[in-house]
Amino acid sequence: MVLHKFGEKLYSGLVATMTFHLKEICSSIEAAQGGLFLEELNRKWADHNKALQMIRDILMYMDRTFIPSAHKTPVHELGLNLWRDVVIHSSKIQTRLLDTLLELIQGERSGEVINRGLMRNITKMLMDLGSSVYQDDFEKQFLESSADFYRLESQEFIESCDCGEYLKKAERRLNEEIERVSHYLDAKSEAKITNVVEKELIESHMQRLVHMENSGLVNMIVGDKYEDLGRMYSLFRRVASGLVLIRDVMTSYIRETGKQLVTDLERLKDPVDFVQRLLDIKDKYDKIIGSAFSNDKTFQNALNSSFEYFINLNSRSPEYISLFVDDKLRKGLKGVSEEDVEIILDKVMMLFRYLQEKDVFEKYYKQHLAKRLLSGKTVSDDAERSLIVKLKTECGYQFTSKLEGMFTDMKTSEDTMQGFYANVGADLGDGPTLSVQVLTTGSWPTQPINTCNLPTEILSICEKFRNYYLGTHTGRRLTWQTNMGTADLKATFGKGQKHELNVSTYQMCVLMLFNNTDRLTYREIEQAAEIPASDLKRCLQSLACVKGKNVLRKEPMSKDIADSDAFFFNDKFTSKFFKVKIGTVVAQRESEPENQETRQRVEEDRKPQIEAAIVRIMKARRVLDHNNIVTEVTKQLQSRFLPNPVVIKKRIESLIEREFLERDKGDRKLYRYLA
Amino acid sequence: MRRASAKKTGQPNPIPFSHTDLFRSASSKASSKEMERIDNLFYSYCNRSSGMIDPEGIETLCSDMEVHHTDVRILMLAWKMKAEKQGYFTLEEWRRGLKALRADTVSKLKKALPELEKEVRRPTNFLDLYSYSFRYCLTEEKQKSIDIESICQLLDLVLGSQFRAQVDYLIEYLKIQSDYKVINMDQWLGFYRFCNEISFPDFSGYDPELAWPLILDNFVEWMRAKQT
Repeated sequence: MVLHKFGEKLYSGLVATMTFHLKEICSSIEAAQGGLFLEELNRKWADHNKALQMIRDILMYMDRTFIPSAHKTPVHELGLNLWRDVVIHSSKIQTRLLDTLLELIQGERSGEVINRGLMRNITKMLMDLGSSVYQDDFEKQFLESSADFYRLESQEFIESCDCGEYLKKAERRLNEEIERVSHYLDAKSEAKITNVVEKELIESHMQRLVHMENSGLVNMIVGDKYEDLGRMYSLFRRVASGLVLIRDVMTSYIRETGKQLVTDLERLKDPVDFVQRLLDIKDKYDKIIGSAFSNDKTFQNALNSSFEYFINLNSRSPEYISLFVDDKLRKGLKGVSEEDVEIILDKVMMLFRYLQEKDVFEKYYKQHLAKRLLSGKTVSDDAERSLIVKLKTECGYQFTSKLEGMFTDMKTSEDTMQGFYANVGADLGDGPTLSVQVLTTGSWPTQPINTCNLPTEILSICEKFRNYYLGTHTGRRLTWQTNMGTADLKATFGKGQKHELNVSTYQMCVLMLFNNTDRLTYREIEQAAEIPASDLKRCLQSLACVKGKNVLRKEPMSKDIADSDAFFFNDKFTSKFFKVKIGTVVAQRESEPENQETRQRVEEDRKPQIEAAIVRIMKARRVLDHNNIVTEVTKQLQSRFLPNPVVIKKRIESLIEREFLERDKGDRKLYRYLA
Repeated sequence: MRRASAKKTGQPNPIPFSHTDLFRSASSKASSKEMERIDNLFYSYCNRSSGMIDPEGIETLCSDMEVHHTDVRILMLAWKMKAEKQGYFTLEEWRRGLKALRADTVSKLKKALPELEKEVRRPTNFLDLYSYSFRYCLTEEKQKSIDIESICQLLDLVLGSQFRAQVDYLIEYLKIQSDYKVINMDQWLGFYRFCNEISFPDFSGYDPELAWPLILDNFVEWMRAKQT
């Protein structure tokens, strides 16, 4: 027919015929009852498709020639459009179809089993008819009614469940929908329906869930509920600002607990325990972030900044961390494997990094290290050195050069002693043996030089050593550090019991006085020994007032030392140990006044460092305004401490007075470098 | 006498006379007469042994002028003379000052004071006087700072009339604070800038994060605490 120019007639005939036919099909579908509606529709659709195929084949010539030139819709497409217009959009079918589909889905959500294959065919049909048909005639309503459904359900859940249960339910629903889509909906619907679920089940109730009493985020953290936390993380991740919420709540909780810990006066009495608690907290959260929050970097950062925040709230944190290390290196690491030692030291380094006042740590570390080295009380030389290497890597050579100097001095002293005894040993005879550590002044913590009269019994060997040393090292000056030494004394008591007393140098000086007399007053001791009063009193207390170590007896028996007290050699002293340790050279938490003193020294040390930074900066920049100087100085010094802006200003003024800087004559807000 | 003074200035005796020459020699005659009177005035107050006018001499001069020796106008006079040492005037300084003021008698000097005051009040001159007054008070050679007590007196003297309220509070603060026992030139200059630039008593516009001397930061903090 086409060939004979009857294309138009053919085409319109086709349209008419098909339309008529479809109307009949329509009525038959409409007539279908209840559940059979969909099946009927499905069957007729299948038939129609088959028919369309055949028609297309038959009218292929028209399809290829007449239709394009006459700008008509191709046959197949025409067939689909007609199906759409006549059947799907028929008034009786359109709404019924939609309602049926939604009803079935709703049923499935309530636990019913539905014919998924049928569903798939229907939705596929809609897609074939055009994605706009799928959307307009199904998807839009589907999404809306799902939203309504989940809104209600979520409200129900939230009233009746705790956080963990709710999240489980939400997860289940979410997975359901995803599965639903894969089975009988168009793939593009997945993102849309999951959005709906996320919004209704998660987003709307985020705040309430996180803050839920006795089951919310904080509760999960406290209880290490990794599974619940992981679920929360993966669900909230789907929602904008979901993770931010979790992170913020977690952060403020960490900061709160951290702050409580560092301000808890009871806890602070035991520095080692305090630091261990810090490490435990860090471990706890590392584990949570690792197992539940998939090592999320932003969470790691939040944890780090929280630690940095509260560790620095307590100005004694640097001291305590050093005491912790001291405890470990002194005894805590005994018997621990090398790898485990490394792990503990790395953890200490991690805390060190959080410190703002690293220079304070350095000061205490030096003091404690000195005590450890001089008393020979370090568990492992390797561990000590390993930590120094770590500090060097973190802070640079300057930080650790002095510490390394201390180790060198110890070693050198060993060699010196060997040389001494080799050289002079023969002349010594039966006298006391001496062991000297020669300390290079700059490397060791500074000590004020105190007076102290050494007992005559050891004066001669001390002199011999001094002469020996100065003989081999000209141009040096040696000073006995009488507040740092120890002595082992052999003592015989009333009933002939012998003990070996391990005492400090001061204690030795005092005790030796009792070789010549049994009774001495405080004043007499003070005069003879010439030890400063506060040290002497402490020394006498440790010799006379401590149970089990009272080699001296005091009258009166009070705990404090008064100038009028008298001391007696305690004939009746007993101890079950042969060796009695009375000296105290162990590093301890500083008393308040000592702490103040150290802090003052630290402040003094900082002044030249700040000045040096200012001069460096001004030399490079020539002219700079105040704010920028403060910023630059802070940046330069941040690896050691956080400079106080007021102190910076004071230093600038001092530099102006000493004519390193001047105020710019034109703009008095600027400073100028004077060459 | 004239020949002697001509010898001093190294001027040859003028040979051909013109009118300007006449005038010039007349004015040089007058000016040397003036210088003579100035010198004589100097000698009437100076201390014979030191060759300078010393504090006693200045006191006498002041009573002759009917001005108190602690009056700020004496400071201004010293400034005009560019006198180096407080309480002393050298001949050169005396000459410089009186010549500039065109005064060769005590009464002329006294009459010149109001004019001098006006001159000083001009902003550029005042700043100069202000810094001068600090240096003038330094007595030792390497001295760079002045004690608090003296600074308070100086502040009152130099700035008191212009900035009464600020000066009073500043003096009160300086006396009770313990951070600084002396004040240096930088801080001294800061005080003037402060009075000039910062409104009082609200201190709006004062920013301690700028380059103000720390002592002023503390002063403002103290004032603000008082005001609440």
